[in-house]
Amino acid sequence: MIATDLFIASRNLARHTRRNLLLASAIAGVTALLVLLGGLTTGMREAMLHSATTLMTGHVNLAGFFKITSGTAAPIVAGWEKPWDAVKGQVPELVYAAPRGRGWAKAVADGGSMDLILAGVELDREPGFEKIIQVVDGSLAELGKPGTILLFEDQAKRLGVKPGDTLTLSAPTTRGASNTADVRVGAVARNIGLLSAFNAFIPAETLRQLYQLKAGTTGAVQIYLRDADDSAKVAARLRGALRDAGYRVMDPDPQPYWQKLMFKVNAEDWTGQKLDVTTWEDEMSFLSWIVTAVTWLGNVLVTVLMVIVAVGIVNTLAIAIRERTREIGTLRAIGMQRTQVLRLTLMEACLLGLAGALLGALAGAGLGAGINAAAIELPETMQYFLLQRNLHLAIHPGQVAVYVAFVTALTTVAAIWPSAYAARMRPVTAMHHAG
Amino acid sequence: MPEPIVEAVDVAKVYQLGKTEVHALRHVDLLVERGEFLSIAGPSGSGKTTLLNLIGGVDVPSSGTVRVDGEDTSKLTERALTRLRLDHIGFIFQTFNLVAVLTVFQNVEFPLLLQGRMTSAERRRRVNALLESVGLADHSRHRPSELSGGQRQRVAVARALVANPPLVLADEPTANLDSKTGGTIIDLMREMNRRDGTTFIFSTHDPKVMSHASAIVRLEDGRVVGREEAQGAAGDEAR
Repeated sequence: MIATDLFIASRNLARHTRRNLLLASAIAGVTALLVLLGGLTTGMREAMLHSATTLMTGHVNLAGFFKITSGTAAPIVAGWEKPWDAVKGQVPELVYAAPRGRGWAKAVADGGSMDLILAGVELDREPGFEKIIQVVDGSLAELGKPGTILLFEDQAKRLGVKPGDTLTLSAPTTRGASNTADVRVGAVARNIGLLSAFNAFIPAETLRQLYQLKAGTTGAVQIYLRDADDSAKVAARLRGALRDAGYRVMDPDPQPYWQKLMFKVNAEDWTGQKLDVTTWEDEMSFLSWIVTAVTWLGNVLVTVLMVIVAVGIVNTLAIAIRERTREIGTLRAIGMQRTQVLRLTLMEACLLGLAGALLGALAGAGLGAGINAAAIELPETMQYFLLQRNLHLAIHPGQVAVYVAFVTALTTVAAIWPSAYAARMRPVTAMHHAG
Repeated sequence: MPEPIVEAVDVAKVYQLGKTEVHALRHVDLLVERGEFLSIAGPSGSGKTTLLNLIGGVDVPSSGTVRVDGEDTSKLTERALTRLRLDHIGFIFQTFNLVAVLTVFQNVEFPLLLQGRMTSAERRRRVNALLESVGLADHSRHRPSELSGGQRQRVAVARALVANPPLVLADEPTANLDSKTGGTIIDLMREMNRRDGTTFIFSTHDPKVMSHASAIVRLEDGRVVGREEAQGAAGDEAR
């Protein structure tokens, strides 16, 4: 019976080709838009994860603050290997972990100056680093030598430097003085989204010298996992394990370390070392509003379009049912139950929705692939908002399947009212309908 | 004595047209025995279609009772009434009322699918046998739009009979056909009546068609004004 219902439903759809094609096109358009907007927000999130986990944070960070007095905090973990050794057995999801120095300095060159967030890296401890950083000038190996710096394209352009040139870093210390160091540009790398505008890398030892820190001191142990989605779970586990090992651990707070440093930690009444376990999302929370805003904007747009399409579906089905009043009456007269009429008309809407949604999903995915292949470089202002240099849409099959299911379900739900009207029809009324 | 297939007692049907009440049927009593080939005759507006609708359970009386195969139609739920139509009554309409998107075979098969009792092979055998008996075995894959009026009505006859109902109702089955084709349809119905003992009630105002009936019930202004038992062959066969 279902097969016959399906057959009748598809034949009925085929009978009014132009009208149903128009409606299917509208459904396809909305689905394609949904796929593209979904691809854009997912792309932004992935770009954020990609650039953040390269430049600023691990999936999880074992970081902390050291306070000499209650009002002077530094974002450092003294003797980082001890706490890490105490808890690393608790992270079976671990791919690798590496210390990263954290600092801030003003870079001054002949061509200009700019503020930079400095990361102190140990290349031999970070196997993922060279896979992500794409050097366009100079050599990444130079970063293994003391007194060097890796800049990104836009930074090098702004400072007017190239590999081999020297620039001066001036870093404020907790005691109010400024330390300086001359560094040589070892490499210039391709920009990685928004964050590469103000992050730069120097050897960990050079950063320690700049801040006059002891060996064994770092900013954070950046922990990379097999799946970034496990971050929150692993972070919670680490907090517990560190507390159990006797360390003072800060409560979870979804803010980046520099916000805590500027607005929170210095106002707290404690001294010494406190550890802080954070996730990449915590460290990037200051940018998440962009993704949220784009998502909301997209949702509003899609909702408006969906409402228009839903009204179209109700209208079209109501007309179709009116045209088929006699047929429905006949089916009711020869023994079709109301529920079966309801099922038949809903099936039509479902088929129409599914066909339109599949078409739209294919069109959206195709268009998205085309956009990605074209590597369209965004205007500079857009790069800041979309967190990427080239427009990149991350369209995943699972997500597309969800959109198809959602649009099909919505189409079917929109058909409930006209279908219920058809099912309520009395056979005698339907059979003598003249329309 | 076997129970009558149809028993209508003091049936009335009133339609509301705005502020006006239209009395389509008044105080109708009707008894139809199993195996009859009964014609309901009368001019347009006399209430023939209304009476068939009430017997067929597609409408309910304003007062009085209609019993079909022992069931009081006004006491059945909507679901049970639909089931009664499916299992006990076959319908033949003046305008054929076939499902345009289905083939001849699928149209005839439809009531069996609704019943859901037969296997696919059983349905195929039953439908093919009926199409054979109405002379449309070669047209099973055609759509209604590819058939003549007479052929469409043959399909409707086959559809009405496919579930083997004890009662078939035909509302002016020959009205949209020329007299020759109309005659063959009535002959076909008569043959099924003779062969299977299926009760047929059909409305008409064509005297030629009436002449095939075993009994004629005459309606005027919503009232039964007489019942005539056929003389000779038709009546004898029916009895």
